[in-house]
Amino acid sequence: MDNIIKIENLIFEYKREEDNEIVKAVNDISIDIERGSFVAIIGKNGSGKSTLAKNLNALLLPSGGAVYVNGNNTSDETKTWDIRQSAGMVFQNPDNQLVSSIVEDDVAFGPENLGIEPTEIRQRVDMSLNAVNMYEQRKKAPHLLSGGQKQRIAIAGVVAMKPQCIILDEPTAMLDPHGRNEVMEIIHKLNSEGITILLITHFMDEAAQADRVIIMENGKSILDGTPLEVFRHVEEIKKIGLDVPMAVELAYRLRKRGVIIPDDIISEEDLIEYVFNRSKEFNSYI
Amino acid sequence: MYLIEVKNLTHIYSEGMPYQTSALTDVSFNVKPGEFVGIIGHTGSGKSTLIQHLNGLLKPKSGKIIIDNVDITSKDIKMRDIRRKIGLVFQYPEYQLFEETVHKDIAFGPLNLGLSQEEADMRVKEAISLVGLDYEEIALRSPFELSGGQKRRVAIAGVIAMKPQVLILDEPTAGLDPKAHSDILKMVEKIHKTEGNVIILVSHNMGDIAALADKVLVMDGGRLALCGSPEDVFSKEDLLKSLGLALPPAAEFISKLKGKGINISSKPLTVEEVENELYNILNNN
Repeated sequence: MDNIIKIENLIFEYKREEDNEIVKAVNDISIDIERGSFVAIIGKNGSGKSTLAKNLNALLLPSGGAVYVNGNNTSDETKTWDIRQSAGMVFQNPDNQLVSSIVEDDVAFGPENLGIEPTEIRQRVDMSLNAVNMYEQRKKAPHLLSGGQKQRIAIAGVVAMKPQCIILDEPTAMLDPHGRNEVMEIIHKLNSEGITILLITHFMDEAAQADRVIIMENGKSILDGTPLEVFRHVEEIKKIGLDVPMAVELAYRLRKRGVIIPDDIISEEDLIEYVFNRSKEFNSYI
Repeated sequence: MYLIEVKNLTHIYSEGMPYQTSALTDVSFNVKPGEFVGIIGHTGSGKSTLIQHLNGLLKPKSGKIIIDNVDITSKDIKMRDIRRKIGLVFQYPEYQLFEETVHKDIAFGPLNLGLSQEEADMRVKEAISLVGLDYEEIALRSPFELSGGQKRRVAIAGVIAMKPQVLILDEPTAGLDPKAHSDILKMVEKIHKTEGNVIILVSHNMGDIAALADKVLVMDGGRLALCGSPEDVFSKEDLLKSLGLALPPAAEFISKLKGKGINISSKPLTVEEVENELYNILNNN
């Protein structure tokens, strides 16, 4: 299997300010991320998700273990720029990520820093803005855009670096439902074009759209598998204060009341299909 | 008898400038004492502009807001009188904490209202317990050492310590994990029950609004597009979608099921109601 990211026994420690205790925000995690996959990471606030993410593009460096991006060790300073170019990050608040007063300048910022030829920069900016459906707005000022649009500009800024992997840390947390859908559509589109996606989210319906879901708790990965495999552990997931997608929740509650529901239901479409087929059976008896 | 009467409220940003925009146009609605009001609308629909008028941060171009028989838009009104009645909790309120200790931070509002130190101390204790924190454990700590969820509770305590008749919360659950999210909502319900005040909740989460609100206001392009009970408002699926809004997930699910030709007569808005509906369908024989 071709892995773009290899995490080997990663430990990240820091000293807590209030009592000077050493805290392990990430505590011995080993995960490989397959090239081209779409991985969702969920967990409570403070479970170590964001710390893990920042270790993936050398914004933080491991206290123990190692992280490899495209075979480059993140602790090797000579590789930092290669790593950041191949694994780009998008954060929660779009207002903190935009640096220019014109959309296209903002998107050009990354490639300019890489020292790329102006004609190539122009091509990359146009390509990136098209990729996030924001080409029409290229001359606008970012502060006049909606939250979803700003977040798409932030994604375009990363896409212009031609990354192989994009790590998104709660990119939809501050957006309205429409903005969330816009951003999720772009994420799927980029993934279908071969870019590896790591999505940190609190929205279980977003996690259910990934190929693989990892649940973190207290700095460890406690569940790891397809959405179907992971969300099967309804009680365990609720115990740590997380949720499951609504269709999984409904199937779980109905099963508890003695209703027969197949155990491969993960999306609303699955459940609707099942209810539809069952009600057809009933009707044919009448 | 209404506690809040909003009459023909109109607000224009940057009037006479190239970027002049009508932020609110002819908005009118009433709120009864003790009502729980939900406000929905996509980004830029006028929700924030509206709530900033309700506590006097913005003055309207025309129209009136009467709260508890006082016209808060009149020129000779004292800001302090407005702030005493209306508490506003902004988005990400934890960024507004500033004092050395949790106690001082929460006492800031009551002291500014002119209460004595003793009265303010009482208010702080009450508010901390209402937001579900432990006074002994937390009062003398720095607010900056707390976890994100605790900070947000302290910030909300600072507003409810002023005992507002109307508590406005702008997206109080944004960015929280599922457990913290439901904890904050339970806390809001508890405050509503204990204080008997009016709650105005601005949220993008249609499920929360459907479960909590007595009345829902739908904003679009600075106008009040719809106003009614959650049942009324969320039965207008086509209109909501044309405004870029969604149904609560439970209602969305039922709508898709109906789209498949399955006959459902009730209008479920919560997961519990959908569960019962499915139970009936699947236990048909």
